[in-house]
Amino acid sequence: MNTAQRGYDHAAIRYASDAELLAVVVPFLNAGLTAGEPTIVSLEPDRAELVRAALPASAGTHFLATGDLYARPAAAIKSYRDLMTGLVADGASGIRIVGEVPGAAIDTSWDWWARYEAAVNHAYDEFPLRSMCAYDSRTTPPHVLEDVARTHPFLATPGGGHHPNADYVDPLTFLTGPRPMTPSPIQRTAPLLELTDPHPSAARRAVLDADKTGLPAAEIENLVLAVSEIVTNALRHGRPPVHLRIWADTEHMVVTVHDAGPGPDDPFAGLLPADRHVGGRGLWITHQICTHVALHRDDTGFTVRLTAGLPSLGVRSPYE
Amino acid sequence: MPTGQESGPPPARGHVCRGYRQPQEFVVRACEFLAEGLAAGERVLYAAPGAPEVLAAQLRAAGPIDEGLRSGAVQIASLDSTYTTGIVVDPAAQVRLYAAATEEALAAGYTGLRVAADATRLVRTPAQLDAFTRYEYLVDRYMATHPMSAMCGYDRGELGDDAVAQLACMHPRADEGSTPFHLHGHPRDDSAAALDGELDMVAHRLWPLALERADLRPAEGPVAIDARGLRFIDHRSLLAVADYAEDHDTTVVLRTSLSTPARVLELLNVTNVRVERV
Repeated sequence: MNTAQRGYDHAAIRYASDAELLAVVVPFLNAGLTAGEPTIVSLEPDRAELVRAALPASAGTHFLATGDLYARPAAAIKSYRDLMTGLVADGASGIRIVGEVPGAAIDTSWDWWARYEAAVNHAYDEFPLRSMCAYDSRTTPPHVLEDVARTHPFLATPGGGHHPNADYVDPLTFLTGPRPMTPSPIQRTAPLLELTDPHPSAARRAVLDADKTGLPAAEIENLVLAVSEIVTNALRHGRPPVHLRIWADTEHMVVTVHDAGPGPDDPFAGLLPADRHVGGRGLWITHQICTHVALHRDDTGFTVRLTAGLPSLGVRSPYE
Repeated sequence: MPTGQESGPPPARGHVCRGYRQPQEFVVRACEFLAEGLAAGERVLYAAPGAPEVLAAQLRAAGPIDEGLRSGAVQIASLDSTYTTGIVVDPAAQVRLYAAATEEALAAGYTGLRVAADATRLVRTPAQLDAFTRYEYLVDRYMATHPMSAMCGYDRGELGDDAVAQLACMHPRADEGSTPFHLHGHPRDDSAAALDGELDMVAHRLWPLALERADLRPAEGPVAIDARGLRFIDHRSLLAVADYAEDHDTTVVLRTSLSTPARVLELLNVTNVRVERV
């Protein structure tokens, strides 16, 4: 298959054993190496070592740490796009990537990683890329596997199997469809502060006033910027009233900004930078600097939830 | 309000903007301001609309000034003779006029020159306002290095809060709530300008205007702004700095303790604005 003519080929691997993972990944990477294509692996350490050991010793495959690359979806998109832009500029006519969303990210913030898996079908389409996203079917929660099925146009199977995925829906449909926003556990308590139609400066001050975390000052400064940007968007582009609510404990801080409007038109808002005049950059910046950002639409309007510090587990971790 | 009351650095003497609703508000504050100057051995000048006798009567209500009027320590100028009403001020020429008056005061044995001026009638048209904001910045730079200080009064009711904000933001100090930021000529280091306050959606129109009017171009090298007093800047305001740098084919350096500006500039691939953490 000539990768260069295909645009982005985005496949999921659902494996149930190490052997099954290797049976998909190793032939895929070896074919890339044979074709002289850059090959990149970003798996969690145990599985990265497994793959490394199964490749020829001389293989020029690049191994990237998942912690850096998969810290945030918008950052992952930017990093991968920058990386692939460089590879293409250096003459690559095909690129192969094997990656995985870290288990901790699946547990704490799957909602925005699901958006990532949908959005990359668009965001990487200009590159001659074939990628495989690995999910362990023994430990990945069923609702996550459902999203995986809906966001990957192909399924990769052992021995070079590569099949169109009947469950796949196009990213616009996926991203604009109704999606639940699992409340952070702290949201079951009363907010520390609530403001209606706050000026951005009042919103910033409220975040600082409510901060009882032990988080580094820079992380709180990032949250203050994010809240200011989102309140600005709500006041400029949303529909009043704008409600700001803040929760905090010693480890993290959650801020929601709700307005009565429909939210941004752009389904990729937040994951990809938008034109500076439509409010998309502020949302994208928050996706780069917060621990987690969740977007939610319902009958009452549009909500952005911003988190600093480690978000509490919305579901029990299968890795515990 | 973000700027806080009497925000900004403590300049040795001061250049403060007072927006007033009732003329008497400004008269009272101007008299206090000038009395401080007299006590410090400065020559003081009161410039406002109205006949000289009326202006003298206003000052007299604040204290005994007749001796000062006789000796020349107190000068009174009906606005018409201090500025030419109706024409657009030439910022540099106006600064030269005050520089000469300051030198004259020093030559006459005073410690400096202190001016209280109600300049409302000099900023009534958009062209006048534009020129006067440029003058306010330029004269602030002069005051940063010379023994001159000033209190500038503007009638909010007549000019509107927006026009007063355009003037107030070019002073190191102003009434609380009149402007979200201050771009002025009292840097704490060798920067071309100083920036205090907060830059968010309230300043989205005002900030690019202020940058343009301050005309920060140095003789050579990047334009440094002492932003130690900057407490917040959003991404749009940073992009306004990048636009300014691009339009003037220069690089702007923000000297700030904030951590987010450098991150945002990196994310937005802005290369003509740099941050120096201080």
